[in-house]
Amino acid sequence: MKRWTWVAIIALLWSAFLFGAGWITRSYVAAVTAPEPAPAAAADTNTIPLLDEVWAHVRAGFVGEVPSDTVRNYGAIRGALATLNDRWTVFVEPQPRSMERDHLRGEFGGIGVDIALNEEGKIVLTPNPDSPAEQAGVRAGDILVAIDGVTLPDKPDFAEIAPRVRGTAGTIVHLSVLRNGQVLDFTVIRTTIQIPSVEWRILTDTQHASAVGYIAIHQFTERTGDEVRQAIEELRQDGSQAYLIDLRDNGGGVLSAAVDVASHFLDGGVVLIERKRNQPDITFPVTTDGSTRAIDEPLAVLINSNTASASEIVAGAIQDRQRGKLIGDKSFGKGSVQSIYDLSDGSSAHITSAQWLTPNKRAIDGVGLTPDIEVTRAADEAGQGKDSQLDRALAELRNEARN
Amino acid sequence: MDASQPQPQPIQSGKGNTIRNVMLAMAGVFIAVLIFIVGLTVGAAAANGFRFTGSSAFPVVESATGTENSSTGSINVTLMNDIIRRLRSQWYGEIPSDDKLTDGALRGLVSSLGDPYTSYVEPKYAQMLEQDMTSKFEGIGATLRQTSGGAVQILRTFENSPASKGGVLPGDIIDAVDGTKVTGLSTVEVAALVRGTKGTTVTLTLRRAEKPKAFDLTLVRDQIVIPLVTTKTIGNGKIAYISLFDFSQEASTQLNTRLQTLLKQNPKGVILDLRDNPGGLLSQAVDVGDTFLKEGVFIIERDNKGNEKRDYTTDKGIAQDIPLVVLVNSGSASAAEIVAGAIQDYGRGKLIGETTYGKGSVQLPQMLSNGGQLRITIQRWYTPKNRGIHGTGITPDFMVTRTTADEQANRDPQLDAAVNYLLSGKAPAATPIPTVPATAAP
Repeated sequence: MKRWTWVAIIALLWSAFLFGAGWITRSYVAAVTAPEPAPAAAADTNTIPLLDEVWAHVRAGFVGEVPSDTVRNYGAIRGALATLNDRWTVFVEPQPRSMERDHLRGEFGGIGVDIALNEEGKIVLTPNPDSPAEQAGVRAGDILVAIDGVTLPDKPDFAEIAPRVRGTAGTIVHLSVLRNGQVLDFTVIRTTIQIPSVEWRILTDTQHASAVGYIAIHQFTERTGDEVRQAIEELRQDGSQAYLIDLRDNGGGVLSAAVDVASHFLDGGVVLIERKRNQPDITFPVTTDGSTRAIDEPLAVLINSNTASASEIVAGAIQDRQRGKLIGDKSFGKGSVQSIYDLSDGSSAHITSAQWLTPNKRAIDGVGLTPDIEVTRAADEAGQGKDSQLDRALAELRNEARN
Repeated sequence: MDASQPQPQPIQSGKGNTIRNVMLAMAGVFIAVLIFIVGLTVGAAAANGFRFTGSSAFPVVESATGTENSSTGSINVTLMNDIIRRLRSQWYGEIPSDDKLTDGALRGLVSSLGDPYTSYVEPKYAQMLEQDMTSKFEGIGATLRQTSGGAVQILRTFENSPASKGGVLPGDIIDAVDGTKVTGLSTVEVAALVRGTKGTTVTLTLRRAEKPKAFDLTLVRDQIVIPLVTTKTIGNGKIAYISLFDFSQEASTQLNTRLQTLLKQNPKGVILDLRDNPGGLLSQAVDVGDTFLKEGVFIIERDNKGNEKRDYTTDKGIAQDIPLVVLVNSGSASAAEIVAGAIQDYGRGKLIGETTYGKGSVQLPQMLSNGGQLRITIQRWYTPKNRGIHGTGITPDFMVTRTTADEQANRDPQLDAAVNYLLSGKAPAATPIPTVPATAAP
């Protein structure tokens, strides 16, 4: 299929990383603010003067390696945030923050190369078909030894590699690789690499001659709304008579993407309500873009215990608005909104800034959404290629189509 | 504080009587913290509920520029202030008080040192530690340690103590004391909460592996009376046995008095039992070492500026030649490890039992301007052959274990092996473990 280009493979290539980043995708984002200029030095007295006092003692007497300023400052910040007792209010260091930023945008400037650690702790490259990396001459199995002329240490830190290879599209990165005992240098121009967040296909049933448009959403990035629109357009062209949205194992993402996705399936009205501390509730209505909508066809949504946050916004709206049935397991139950604040050194703070409620003002935090039809997928089903939740959803949709 | 007299923790009997009173929850402080104290990390925040956690994808890394290595005097004000300002304007919940934020930031700062023994004690707990010295000898009779996850765990309970009679078991995790959640607190702080006057009650909320839910135990505090030195003769009267509870002020005097009496019976050998001895005063360790060792270097102490200090034994000991076995186990810590390590280094006697705890460092308590306390590791200890104890412990010459089943059945294979070795010269059944060679100075 055409949409499964090498771009899609990039998604797989990053999948290990992104799954690792599950906690980020679960906490979705209400607002991303730009770094503010540092406040004037004169006015900037230490909010916590005891930090300096303690550090003076440490420097005077501590036996052992004293950590760098960065490690120390981050430690103090983490300690302060820990007093909030909120697992979603966290400090994110610059490198993971830059990866997270790419991830939430759904695209980044890169060269289309898979990176992996081999048994000796070296970085092994595998370029994707037609990617800038392949076009520049990188071959599968090349060992990365330097980036932009900076030689990697014997045992490189894996997490550091991707952020250094990535950069703004159109800029250049120099890679040195080891191949058959020879060092080869490549100059690669970065391009925009998309991270698809949605997969779709028609599920046809020859017995009943019905076509269901299946849309699996893996996370909510800034591009997810557009991808879902494209999915509906193509599936409709292919004769889809009903839609099945799969939100299983979708940990969430960007709040506005959840609103966009829900808006494709709802005929106006409310998607969610945001409640901040000591402020009037804010209603998020369906976005009026709606040229491509699927508001009449039968609809069902698959959820499970890893369906969280932005996913629960979509599922909750569809359930409250009685637009379709939720099928599967009870969802995770994350009803808080985090704002991401970028800080002066590239790190960021995720701060829980609001709770959200379903259109019927249900608070789902710690509770989750109860499916209309509870179906559990047994642990061994995946191995046998079975999916009882999907089967049940298809049966429901056919039933509805017939009535 | 005189550097020659590092005091692992401020615990003193203060009394010269033969029976010694100790608040054993405080003794737990000796043994104190095992492995890590971690602040809230990205990984920890991620761990819940997902099949894949963020910890491997987001290791702790330095800033993108990654060039900082040196440490300057003051803290980066901009970042901290920025975050606190945004918390005040945006956070959904109730903002903690400035004092609480300060406590958290200090804990985080201290944990960035990566040293499990360096800790911050909040003002209210520091106050409790300061007041009423007598209550240090009254409590529940248990020792504490910090788990790798940062929880406070019961390490040991003492016979006939309120803890053991009340059903507290080693391994229990303390969730709360009298309803106060102790998550994130250090052992010193938890000990301060548990401690109290004889006759008063304390309610512990505990978690235990086999129990699905946390449960409460209410205990009546009591005076904890533990003999400092215990002696007996065994092996048909041929072996003198002497055990030392800890290295407090009276340790050496009492040990020498009692040993003198034992030696009059002309035993074939002496067993010095340092199992579960959590340590104490370095001066007492030197004096106890002096009893058994000839003249020589006993311990090397190093501080953060590379200064080295040595303490020496003399030729005055009353048991310099008699065959000697030292019993050690994983509860032998600090001063106990120094004594055992020196005896092993000089080949003065064999060590039988299990690898020791591995705490070869000294913490100096410092009062802070907010009334809190900072306990910084200011010295590390090395054996005469320059072996570091920190983190590794001392490996016995003969590894012999004593299981819980042995304890319940009143069997003591370690003691049996020691007696057998002294009487017959035969090594215990277990494979002898070669002595670790001396290492270079760090």
